[in-house]
Amino acid sequence: MKPLLEIEKINSFYGPVQVHFDVSMSVPEKAIVCLLGGNASGKSTTMKAILGLQAPRSGRILLEGRDITGWPTPRIVRAGISTVPEARRLFGGMSVRENLLMGAYARDDRGEVAADLDRVLALFPRLGERLGQKAGTMSGGEQQMVAMARALMGRPKLICMDEPTMGLSPLFVDRVLELIATVNGTGVSVFMVEQNASMALRIADYGYVLRTGRIVLEGPAKQLLADPRIRGAYLGENVA
Amino acid sequence: MGSILSLPWFDFTVSGVVIGSIYALMAVGLALIFGVANLINFAHGAVFTVGAYVGWVCAVALGLPLWATVPLVALGGGLVGAGIEYIAIRPLNRQSRIAPLLATIGVGLILDQIVHILFGANPRALPVPMPGWRVSVGQGSIGPIDITIFVTAVIAAAALYAFLFRTRLGMAVRATAQDEDAAKQMGVNIHAVNMAVFAIAGALGAIAGLLVGIYYNAIDPNTSFQIMLKGMVAIVIGGMANVPGAIGGGVILGLIESYGIALFGASYRNLFAFAVLLLMLLVKPNGLFAKGREREAEPMTGTFVIQSMPVRPPGWLLALGVAAAALVPLAGQPYLTQVMTNAFLYALAAISLTLIAGTVGLVSIGHAALLAIGAYASALLTIAGLPVALGLVAAAAITALLGTALAYPAFRLRGHYVAIGTLAIGEIVSLVILNWTSLTNGSMGVFGIPPLTLFGVDFFSTNPSYWLVLGLVVVFALLQTRLLSSHLGRTWRAIREDTVAAETYGVGSNYYKGLAYGFAGFTAGLAGAVTAHQFSYINFDTFNLLTSVLILTIVILGGLGNVTGAIVAAVLVAGLPEMFRVLAEYRMLFYGAALLLLIRFRPRGLLGSG
Repeated sequence: MKPLLEIEKINSFYGPVQVHFDVSMSVPEKAIVCLLGGNASGKSTTMKAILGLQAPRSGRILLEGRDITGWPTPRIVRAGISTVPEARRLFGGMSVRENLLMGAYARDDRGEVAADLDRVLALFPRLGERLGQKAGTMSGGEQQMVAMARALMGRPKLICMDEPTMGLSPLFVDRVLELIATVNGTGVSVFMVEQNASMALRIADYGYVLRTGRIVLEGPAKQLLADPRIRGAYLGENVA
Repeated sequence: MGSILSLPWFDFTVSGVVIGSIYALMAVGLALIFGVANLINFAHGAVFTVGAYVGWVCAVALGLPLWATVPLVALGGGLVGAGIEYIAIRPLNRQSRIAPLLATIGVGLILDQIVHILFGANPRALPVPMPGWRVSVGQGSIGPIDITIFVTAVIAAAALYAFLFRTRLGMAVRATAQDEDAAKQMGVNIHAVNMAVFAIAGALGAIAGLLVGIYYNAIDPNTSFQIMLKGMVAIVIGGMANVPGAIGGGVILGLIESYGIALFGASYRNLFAFAVLLLMLLVKPNGLFAKGREREAEPMTGTFVIQSMPVRPPGWLLALGVAAAALVPLAGQPYLTQVMTNAFLYALAAISLTLIAGTVGLVSIGHAALLAIGAYASALLTIAGLPVALGLVAAAAITALLGTALAYPAFRLRGHYVAIGTLAIGEIVSLVILNWTSLTNGSMGVFGIPPLTLFGVDFFSTNPSYWLVLGLVVVFALLQTRLLSSHLGRTWRAIREDTVAAETYGVGSNYYKGLAYGFAGFTAGLAGAVTAHQFSYINFDTFNLLTSVLILTIVILGGLGNVTGAIVAAVLVAGLPEMFRVLAEYRMLFYGAALLLLIRFRPRGLLGSG
């Protein structure tokens, strides 16, 4: 499969502290790729680097072969990367409809936004009944749905999801997995950062394991799921 | 009761609503900026003044009709607002929360000075032709001016709503106000949103300036600060970032003032606003329209200025500096000596502020109030017959007690509320002095304050007076340095770093804040008292906002909490400009620019914060 997003040997820093050491990854078209790792492994910084919120000091990030390193966030969003931020970060005081429209904020083809709204609502019919409701008054699962729909409204090629299952009850986790599969089914690639490894690997095509800023393990999801070292990586034991 | 009922209540209601709608225009801008940029724009009053003068140019100098003047005023205010964002706010890039707030104080001073330079310091007439009819309603009446102002304000508010709820950029503004990071991830250009909000606030504030000019038939270049405070009170009533709340808050404030004037007289006008403000901060800090009493958590507990290692000059250098300073009068230039005396008085005040700002983290924008209390206390006591030496000490003690008591309500405030609270306390002190005529002689001021003679020794002529002040600075600097390195100093710093954490270790933060304020009040009261005896005349405006801003600038330049830094900075900021005639003439411009540049390039001060 052709790579959609490529991360080439990035090194990121917070002040004097290095958080990425020559990290390389790739997300193929139409695939679900997950990045696993514990606290302080550099997962969230990877997300920030892709979105242009925290530029790496060296290395490159390519979208469809184009170097997007150091681009301002609005330009990266326009180029086709949407996001489902950590803890969803909906605009709680605004209606569901306005939240969805915010997802299309950066698009240039404003004439087609209305058609996309219909398309997204067809995908998540529940939201159609709730368009006027304030997003902050919805349940956690519904909010996750709004966040996914909002990301789709940008007509992205890639959606980055930061810990989409965090803070949700086990019952909802399965629902979110379905949502992710639904989103992916529309032909959009998904790059997700997760702590919940076994859950993420169940739906992912490929996975990377990040530990203290270095990729320590990677492979097709099915292989990783069977790999005893996955457990090790999470319990902090030595990995091969 | 009969006399109260027979007052023209209808007319008071009309004028309350009309003035209130102008306050609402001011408040809406402040609320928008607070929501999006998390910042109280202290330059907002200056934008109001600029609007009034753009209105004068259009309506009087160019003779344009009102329908053409209003959009031009809005355009002018919008450009100034956008300029403030671009020059003062954007470059700071959120380095710390208080930095942009201080930068807007600097910009406000610069804009005010520019208006003074262009149009002079005196009020001007702003005659706008209006038809002569009035509509009688019961015992009262409504005139065309009332209607014009109210309708203009309503149209402006409607335009704002159309922008916020009917345009794409307006949606982005609302989204940014709710969650800036999320908005950024949607591809919103935060800089553009900020600039739009400053421009809109500027346009509305400028229209407010024009409307006040129309209402009173005159414009005044010295009202920026007062009107900014009114807008601020209105947003505190309405709940800081709440735009509809700001409109409600503005109208409520207008009505309170109007009814208050009806009952107590016009001289108390501003006192009502601040009484309401203090009441709100204490009882409903989230605004009338909020559900809970809980204040929204602001992340900073302390000074919210980045700490750094202070430069510690060696002892011999300090001793050399004091020796050199002591020799200044020998240069035989009385003017230089007087300027330096004044600078060291500011140094004394700055030592005092740096103690509370740098240790317990109360960055006060009303520090001049402490000087005023000390000055009035010593002046009144010595006129009543107390020897000057006793008067000074008594004044310092009174300031310590009264200042601490006044600041006490501000102890539990955080972040922006500290700025608002201390500012309000400063204003209230000044207003009480103005209105308590039987004690303070009101607006006439206090004359004939005895000269500085301590135990029969002359300290009033130029040189002895200089040595006295220098001596006080050295003594209090040493005392404070000792204090800061003691157990007490460490406790203070712990409170600054994290009040809540300090309290979990059993430190009663109010007690320690009170101690810091008491010590600072003593020092500042002494500085004010000495000033009073030197001037021999003081009034309610001798120690005003400009004094407070100057002291704050000195403290920031010196590095928060840095005693040596405060003294060096006082000589630079309060001394240097007086030695050059041009700088002294454009003092506000100099102070404003100094503050702005300082915040931009050396937020930790020249010598680092301690």
